Amino acid sequence: MPNPLKPDRSVITTCAYCGVGCGFKAEMRAGKIVRMTPWKEGKANHGHSCIKGRFAYDYYNAPDRVRTPLIRASIDDPWTPVSWQEAFDYAASAFRRIQAKYGVKSLGAVSSSRCTNEEIFLVQKFARAVLGNNNIDNCARICHSPTQFGLTNTIGAGAASQHFDSILQADVIMVVGANPTEGHPVFGSLMKRRIRQGAKLIVIDPRKTETVESAHCKADVHLAIRPGTNVAILDSIAHVVVREKLYNEEFVRARCEVKEFENWKALVGSDKYTPEAIGPLAGVDPADIRKAARMYAGGPNSAIYYGLGVTEHSQGSTGVMCLGNLGLSCGMLGREGVGVNPLRGQGNVQGGSCLGSWPHVFSGYRFVTDYETRSSFEAEWGVPLDSEPGLRLPNMLDAAVAGSFKGMYIMGEDPVQSDPNQHHVIAAMKNMECVVLHDLFLNETSKYAHVFFPGSSSLEKDGTFTNAERRVSRVRKVIEPLAGYQDWEITVKFMNAMGYAVSYDNPGQVLDEIARLSPAYRGMSFALIDRIGSAQWPCDETAPEGTEILHRVKFPRANGLGAFMLTEYVPTAERTNDKYPLLLTTGRILSQYNVGTQTRRTPNSMWHPEDVLEINEQDAIARGVKDGDFVRVSSRFGQIELRAKISERVNPGIVYTTFHHAKSKSNAVTSDLSDWATNCPEYKVTAVDIVRAVMPVAEIPRAAEMPRVEEMETTE
Amino acid sequence: MWSELRGLKDKTDFGTPPRDGLPVTLEIDGVSVTVPAGSSVMFAAAAAGQAIPKLCATDMLEAFGSCRVCLVEIEGRNGYPASCTTPVVEGMKVRTQSETLRRLRRGVLELYLSDFPSSEIEGGWSEFHETLKAEGVTESRYGNGRNHFDATIDQSNPYFLFDPAKCIVCSRCVRACAEVQGTFALTITGRSFESKVAASQDQPFFESECVSCGACVQACPSHALIEKSLFEGEYRHAEPAKT
Repeated sequence: MPNPLKPDRSVITTCAYCGVGCGFKAEMRAGKIVRMTPWKEGKANHGHSCIKGRFAYDYYNAPDRVRTPLIRASIDDPWTPVSWQEAFDYAASAFRRIQAKYGVKSLGAVSSSRCTNEEIFLVQKFARAVLGNNNIDNCARICHSPTQFGLTNTIGAGAASQHFDSILQADVIMVVGANPTEGHPVFGSLMKRRIRQGAKLIVIDPRKTETVESAHCKADVHLAIRPGTNVAILDSIAHVVVREKLYNEEFVRARCEVKEFENWKALVGSDKYTPEAIGPLAGVDPADIRKAARMYAGGPNSAIYYGLGVTEHSQGSTGVMCLGNLGLSCGMLGREGVGVNPLRGQGNVQGGSCLGSWPHVFSGYRFVTDYETRSSFEAEWGVPLDSEPGLRLPNMLDAAVAGSFKGMYIMGEDPVQSDPNQHHVIAAMKNMECVVLHDLFLNETSKYAHVFFPGSSSLEKDGTFTNAERRVSRVRKVIEPLAGYQDWEITVKFMNAMGYAVSYDNPGQVLDEIARLSPAYRGMSFALIDRIGSAQWPCDETAPEGTEILHRVKFPRANGLGAFMLTEYVPTAERTNDKYPLLLTTGRILSQYNVGTQTRRTPNSMWHPEDVLEINEQDAIARGVKDGDFVRVSSRFGQIELRAKISERVNPGIVYTTFHHAKSKSNAVTSDLSDWATNCPEYKVTAVDIVRAVMPVAEIPRAAEMPRVEEMETTE
Repeated sequence: MWSELRGLKDKTDFGTPPRDGLPVTLEIDGVSVTVPAGSSVMFAAAAAGQAIPKLCATDMLEAFGSCRVCLVEIEGRNGYPASCTTPVVEGMKVRTQSETLRRLRRGVLELYLSDFPSSEIEGGWSEFHETLKAEGVTESRYGNGRNHFDATIDQSNPYFLFDPAKCIVCSRCVRACAEVQGTFALTITGRSFESKVAASQDQPFFESECVSCGACVQACPSHALIEKSLFEGEYRHAEPAKT
């Protein structure tokens, strides 16, 4: 065999998968990408990588990639391929007609955390400046919106307080509702490195995840709580901190609002949150709650990392506040090795959050109702802007079902698959007159779309991503866009077709506009990032190369003090009963990414060809279910069929599945409850029952007969 | 802080991890260089622009000292210590080039070459190939003895393959899996000539605990572990060596 062919050129760019945002070198030979290798100078990954970023990049070239714009008058018609200009004109005239008939607010837009900062910013500009309303939302609504709300109200900034490397100074690592070794693998490796060096590990998760126990990494305390009891368990940990006086009084007096601290102490210190009361409720040993509290408060450096297991609950925002309170009370903020850190799911969730893709705030979380902020945007954009907050995505869908909301521009999202209560979403989609979908592939949502803009993958465009540690890194164009335009160009041309004149020579100019309009990004530019590799916001005159650790001196609140929020535990309305005796919770697996649009088009599916239902042996035996059987999972909202896997990872009473495959339709069973503050759906708790299902032999896809990659479904 | 991660450079392999430590000044081939305490002689040499040839060392992994290619002479010390496992000392005087060192390195490299498919030497661009070129080694005096040319190629992983014929058993893959990824899926089984890289219980990579992060492929100096995407067509065994 000859030697391997040597790449002749490489481009440094940023991985488009999870919130770690690894730096990669896209290596080329004769104009084709031949491999992706981790960049040793990448500040998020230091030369390491995972299966997704390193190997699963070939989806961009999948045969079913849409390469021409498509339009159709009705969702019952077949698609008609058209030129770009026809597609822009068609969508623009439909949108203008809808607004003329149903009013300015009958349209909205949704952007995605898979988009670059520049694209996210342009899509919200499209809604505000072109559609003339604030009906703009993004997919962080369904994952980390409670982070924004919960952290802003306690520590003042809805973002990770630390940089990833900070964990190497931590003595105690507390992981809550996250599974870094699967969901954020490169950060997971860093965490395990620190644990091998001797740091203690506390894991709060219903499931015995890979983070709980793997080679040379074992949790000192695993609180395997019943799904839905996060707030109770965190209040109970706080109870121990208060009753045993483990809090850092000096820090609280110097840095926090003392009166609120006293109020909080009175609440969590009350008898209803004793470990002995909460332990049985949450299904854990009270002694373990005490152990976890003492360990966390004892530090000396304790760091919290949390994920969607905290946010995707009806008390998601409260759960996040519990973590903020805990960090403040024990003084675990404002230096290396400590902090409260959300592990963001998608490559650019932090960017999606920062850049005003919300119905109520502009970039930097400044309210649309604020005259001064609005005026600065009006001056830059040259149009009057709506002062009334717009609709959130779930509200847009509700309004569509009700008949007042008639069209949507969706960039890089698949709400029919990823949003809760699928039946409701479909009803909303069917009720709209023009859905413009901008994506790489036809997907579940495209079945209800009228215009399809074929987008560009992250290998085909320029821009920036902001990772889970607030780090802004460059996405660089490696190859020409397969459908002709970079995504930012498509949005700009759509704006132009709608009659709004604007032009940019390159997305660096969009970042410049972001910098002019957003305090935390004031110092960001392509030039800065090209020079120093990446920079963490806030980046401005006082921190020209960015800020690694937040809250060193004060918290970004009006009075600079940390605030304690009252976090009373209110059980979710989603309860088990005789008919639905089990609790279903959901999660991710290493080889697949979210709804699988990218990874299912790569050989990664060899590791995870289908979503399976993990069930404890006790529950399985009671239902006559054997390992590998097909089971029907039914909830109050719908039913799905999955193959069962008997597993010790879940306790009796709890079942678990992933949501990577469209055909398993996990969201057809999830509830329509959502976070009280932000509408983030409660994906993590659904009461279900399981029965053995008999499937016709012909329909049972065995792993060995799974479609090969090249044959995989072309229209999902 | 955290120099072992933050001090890494894209285009330079210091051989052993960068360290945080008080400055230590030493001489490498007459050139004065100052590096943090805890650094290896190999690191100091790379920092001084006098990179020492190496195979089992790379700066994302702790020193291992197995390949015996990085030997140096140190004034006042006996023998030829491995520069990767020798920490710097204030005032140390190191020689990285001498006729004896060249002879020793050649001998070691030729031993490696005696169990490497000869048809794959020309045109190769791995670290092993580059080291051979730099040391001017093109063939082995030891001829063709026992070898691993017919060992089964593991192609089970869809993204990379492992060809034991090209493996020099330097353990970089094993250490990358442990130190960088933290999965501990790889090991060296057997002893002496039977030593080989094994995944989990000597299973195919795909069936093992390997999580396919690519750290082993990145670490491999001889293209024994290599991305399939760098080949056109099917990967086969090397042609039998011609004598």
